[in-house]
Amino acid sequence: MDVTIASVGAQLGGRWVVDGVDATPPTGVLTGLLGPNGAGKTTLLRLVAGLLPPAAGAVLVDGTPVHALARRERARRVALLEQESSSAVPLTVRDVVALGRTPYRSLWGTDPDEGAVDRALAAASALPLADRAWGSLSGGERQRVHIARALAQEPELLLLDEPTNHLDVSAQLALLSFVRSLGRTTVAALHDLNLAAAYCEHVLVLSAGRLVASGPPGDVLTPALVRDVWGVDCDVLEHPRTGRPVIAFHDVDATAEVRA
Amino acid sequence: MTTDVRAGGATHPAVAAAAPARRRVPLAVLVGGGVLAVVLTVLVCVAIGPAHLGVGEVARSIAHHLGLDVAPVPRLHDAIVWELRLPRVLTAAAVGAGLALSGAVMQSLTRNPLADPYLLGLSSGASLGAVAVLLLGVTLLLPVAAFAGALLALTATLTLARSGGTLTPSRAVLAGLAVSQLCAAGTSFVVFWTAKGDSYQEILAWILGSVAGATWQSVAIAGVALVGVGTVLLTSAVRLDAFAFGDTAAAALGIDVDRTRWTLMTLVALLTGAMVAVSGAIGFVGLVLPHAVSALTGPLHRRLLPVVALAGAVFLTWADTLARTLFAPRELPVGIVTALVGVPVFVVLLRRRGGAAWT
Repeated sequence: MDVTIASVGAQLGGRWVVDGVDATPPTGVLTGLLGPNGAGKTTLLRLVAGLLPPAAGAVLVDGTPVHALARRERARRVALLEQESSSAVPLTVRDVVALGRTPYRSLWGTDPDEGAVDRALAAASALPLADRAWGSLSGGERQRVHIARALAQEPELLLLDEPTNHLDVSAQLALLSFVRSLGRTTVAALHDLNLAAAYCEHVLVLSAGRLVASGPPGDVLTPALVRDVWGVDCDVLEHPRTGRPVIAFHDVDATAEVRA
Repeated sequence: MTTDVRAGGATHPAVAAAAPARRRVPLAVLVGGGVLAVVLTVLVCVAIGPAHLGVGEVARSIAHHLGLDVAPVPRLHDAIVWELRLPRVLTAAAVGAGLALSGAVMQSLTRNPLADPYLLGLSSGASLGAVAVLLLGVTLLLPVAAFAGALLALTATLTLARSGGTLTPSRAVLAGLAVSQLCAAGTSFVVFWTAKGDSYQEILAWILGSVAGATWQSVAIAGVALVGVGTVLLTSAVRLDAFAFGDTAAAALGIDVDRTRWTLMTLVALLTGAMVAVSGAIGFVGLVLPHAVSALTGPLHRRLLPVVALAGAVFLTWADTLARTLFAPRELPVGIVTALVGVPVFVVLLRRRGGAAWT
């Protein structure tokens, strides 16, 4: 699916939290959405998901403004996993994944494609978890199941809001490696620049609601940009095994003029 | 490529063994069993009473009235079945089903396990309407006045909850509380100021809930509301389930969050209003049954809603049968029986859940 973010903007309490963002996340790969807290990452994801009507510009999926799509149609094409999604309802893993079939179900709840849930579980290597209680899963397993739920929507575009939050390092790597292997157009908000550098083909850097840089992580994540956007002094090294950029943080740069 | 990680990272065997999800009974079995239970309950409960009838006789009387070719029943017995007991039993069944369904949906909409169908001030509004008829001599049929009172209270609650913002669950609950208290104060005032003699008991029976005065008209009101609104609620089960991970997740699954909540709250209120209009405010059915039934069906509304409606019908019919036979010839308001049965069930559920899902 072609996604075009065209001069899109959103206001919150009179302030532009996303301001004139133009971007085109490449098809079929993982794009990292980076930026400090409050830079507008979550808001931009909600705009792209069509959950928030833009105050300016538009997000086009295959040429159609996403917020103009009918809700069910939109949910079949775009899946959003929000940050820290939890539930007090005692569901099983299969129940959770089956929620992803909501935009396909008839009024009485029947699913025209009964194998879809199993396929999504299998794609996320979560079939062995299918009958487990949701509440008994580890953090990494929960994210994996959430992604299986999103895959059950059979979306062309996958949006993830800080999917590695609160995961241990092994679970973080496993999750992003898995997301990348899906080969689906994916935009993931990430806090960890090194994870973004290691797994994303493309990154978008937001600062105070504006897009300040975009491109392959090796080109974008320079010491100057990190200093500008995050106010942190760093060196960018080359990973000895993968050749990808590794960001070695030094200290908060007191002299830097942070844009936020 | 990058790091050498286990591709899965998926299962921790110790945890997997610790929490196997229980096998679920197929929905068709639950619904089939429920329908059978309702039919048997109706037949048996109509048979029970001071003039003893056989279940076969009851079935024959009903079949005769439905125009089936069966041997007729003695006229007196037929009248007891058709004129006295059957309307009451069917009203109890419909009201029980309606309240249980309303309670289950209300608990989901407000994300509050203690929610019941009366949460938005409906029963207090209906009570005010009822005392207006019983004591102030307003010339309206009692069910009409009660329904009007419930609708007025609902309108007040939703208007208050929506003023200056969107309709969030907590705003709805708080607005309902305010409207309830206001209507309750109004009812108390009217009762205190004007009630005398027998009217006290009449008022009390109404406030505690009773189907003693049920007629075929009550059956019609409760039945039409149940079938009409109940069908819409059942077809909303998928949308209700989509709220399991909150409003944003529901929206991402293609649900119109605001409109769904608003529509379903109004529908639940209409259903409850109709039930209150024929039976007063019967407590505990709508609060306890959703919890008891979800222990059997699991939390998904597609399974919960049809079963909870059937269970509500069975529960209230038996509660009412107890209410009229326990101290015969005196009758208890059925609300007392539902509370007496409901509280221990609630305590058991509370202990079994250990608070995990109810924090």
